[in-house]
Amino acid sequence: MINDDTLTLYYYNDGLTDGERKQVESALRNDTALAARYDALCRQMSEWSDPEVPTAPPHLVGRWHDSIDRAARSENAAPAIKKHGPFQFFSFAWGGAIAATLVLGVALGMFFSGNDVIPTPDGTPVEVIQSALVPSSFTRGLQVHLRESQWELASLPADASTDSTQLLMQIIEQNRMFERAAKQNNTPNVARLLRAFEPILMRLANEDIAPEDAEALRAQLAFELNVMLTKLASDPSKEAHTT
Amino acid sequence: MVAVLKSLDSPTQAEFHEVIAARADRWYAACLRITRNPDLAEDAVQDALLSAWNKRHQFERSARLDTWIHRIAVNAALMLIRKAKPATWEPLESEVPDDTPTPDVIHAIEALNTDLAEALNQLTDIERVCFVLKHLEQWRLKEIAQELDTTVGTIKQALFRAVKKLRVSMADLRSQ
Repeated sequence: MINDDTLTLYYYNDGLTDGERKQVESALRNDTALAARYDALCRQMSEWSDPEVPTAPPHLVGRWHDSIDRAARSENAAPAIKKHGPFQFFSFAWGGAIAATLVLGVALGMFFSGNDVIPTPDGTPVEVIQSALVPSSFTRGLQVHLRESQWELASLPADASTDSTQLLMQIIEQNRMFERAAKQNNTPNVARLLRAFEPILMRLANEDIAPEDAEALRAQLAFELNVMLTKLASDPSKEAHTT
Repeated sequence: MVAVLKSLDSPTQAEFHEVIAARADRWYAACLRITRNPDLAEDAVQDALLSAWNKRHQFERSARLDTWIHRIAVNAALMLIRKAKPATWEPLESEVPDDTPTPDVIHAIEALNTDLAEALNQLTDIERVCFVLKHLEQWRLKEIAQELDTTVGTIKQALFRAVKKLRVSMADLRSQ
């Protein structure tokens, strides 16, 4: 007696031995009731085969495009840093500073000078100081996360290993939690800034990365985390301002 | 020299943008079906893109870039769901249904906008994942078992339960 489970595997052409397949084929030829049951199964299964594909939210698609651009930028920044042989440390420190300025300068500027012009319902532009909208508890949590990330990155082994990859993936996950919290706190610029770290962290987590590239990326991240922490410390949250 | 030639043959930034524009909806839908969580689906696609970008020199030109990223995205979604709910993957034979869906999940499932999406909601995580990977993603049973770190027999049982439940719930939905 051939049951529906066997017919399901026969439909998928997977999970049955040649002998079992032949047995089903023969039974389908000789047993009209079984053949009818199989037809019904096939009809239902094929109805499920091409479900409607929803459109991904446009802001997510935009973010995915951005992540490729950022990954490409961080990659281009790293090789430029390692060309200076004997003065490698000083040159990559300079390179790190320049790369950091290029990659995150715009985002930092938007966040900390923070003047986004938004239209009011009557069309009058209003400047909102975004940084002033960051709740202090969120800022404190963010500072702890950034400090811990800084410490963890500094203590990463020089060579790429499974342990360091796992640690970096944890930092990425925490970063995403803060990014979501930033979105919920109506601070999209902070979220954007945190998102900007991700391609660099992901590249660092790649086990194929050359040690000198990893070193350059760590320097870049250390610099950026420092800038963000300094600014957070000197830019305490106050009230929201509109002009 | 080989490495240089290989890197010259890697997919370009423009090609990545092209496939994102053309196929991101499909990657997102696949990840949403697996995770039932818009945040995890978003992260899975993001992880897949960055991982594909970092490993683009390994991409074989005989394959399709969008299919390659799709597969990486599905793997990333599986990894994220296992991290988010590790207990789900232990009692694979369990018939315990999922937790009540959160508003986020309901919204995500509504976005899929099909009877099938609604019916998939009635399955346990393991049943849903096995069905999605087998039926929609067309993975071999062996591959699913390897990816979920279990046996082919366990995957078959989860798949059978999924198909049975779906046949009943789809028939109910049609008759409403």
